[in-house]
Amino acid sequence: MTKPSFDEFMHTALNDEQSQPAPQRDLWQGVERAINQAQPVQSPKQSNWQKLSGIAACTFAGLLAWQVIMSQPKQDSLANISAFFEQQKQSLLVQYETQPALTSDWQTQLQELEQAELAVKLALKQDPENAALLNMLAQVYQQQLDLINKVHEPRWQQI
Amino acid sequence: MIINAKAAFSQEQTDALVARCQQGDQGAFRELFEQHHRRVYALCLRLLAEPAHAEDACQEVFVQVWQKIDQFKGQSQFSTWLHSVASNIAISYLRKQKNWFQKVVSFEQSGLDEQGAEQLGELNGLDKLIVRLPERARLVFVLHAVEGYRHEEIANMLNMAVGSSKSQYHRARNLLQEWYNND
Repeated sequence: MTKPSFDEFMHTALNDEQSQPAPQRDLWQGVERAINQAQPVQSPKQSNWQKLSGIAACTFAGLLAWQVIMSQPKQDSLANISAFFEQQKQSLLVQYETQPALTSDWQTQLQELEQAELAVKLALKQDPENAALLNMLAQVYQQQLDLINKVHEPRWQQI
Repeated sequence: MIINAKAAFSQEQTDALVARCQQGDQGAFRELFEQHHRRVYALCLRLLAEPAHAEDACQEVFVQVWQKIDQFKGQSQFSTWLHSVASNIAISYLRKQKNWFQKVVSFEQSGLDEQGAEQLGELNGLDKLIVRLPERARLVFVLHAVEGYRHEEIANMLNMAVGSSKSQYHRARNLLQEWYNND
């Protein structure tokens, strides 16, 4: 039997709905949980306050890191930034401790960011006053905070 | 003119479900989910080339659809609207998945190798080849050849020039054809 041409193969494959892949797990459960959580369980004021406090924590953290980097690129900058962000991260983790996350692999992503944090810190040991590295470290910290906020209180992208 | 009764009935059924969802009927939404989630998952998998991410993105699509269902005014078919939502979410999901280094230093992700594609399980022949494509070529190919977007629209969605979209499409097609012929 001759092999169909590439165009025929593509046409057949794209029109064959039966052979479409199926997800390995039941996706409805997560969707149902998310849409029910999205409905206002708390009063709107409380809910807005929680969101605002998360956003404010991140913004404040970013601004402070930037200020620290720009104002004192000295030996103690690294320790100051690290201590500050670690405190912010832990308080967010505690805040969301009882709240289920919307994605299953967020801790893997967080670990990846923590590995990046270690790599930048290692580079900073060799060159402690390198502003670009300090900036990169602040970005990695910021991404960790954003990730923790996002998976627990997703601000959905615009459709 | 021949009327496709099955398609017309299915469209009517979908419109009725959408109307019920817009009234807040979660049961109707579940039915819509059951009707469409497999196609949405397939689209996410083709774009993301990673089953776990495709599952997460597929869930995110339906959560957003529930939240924005009032914005669907019936100017296009529901499935067209749903797929445009899914495409946008999968693309932004892909951007979010990039680690800090990939964001700082912009470079293209390669696709899966042949063995990796085989391990994805029950993919059809074309899908097994699509997930092997490099990221940009894969995105353009899926959006253009599978989803029917024009290159101008793809350029807008992916922040690239129209010419780049066209060249990535040809690159993808050539690679797919080469792999298919050598298979």
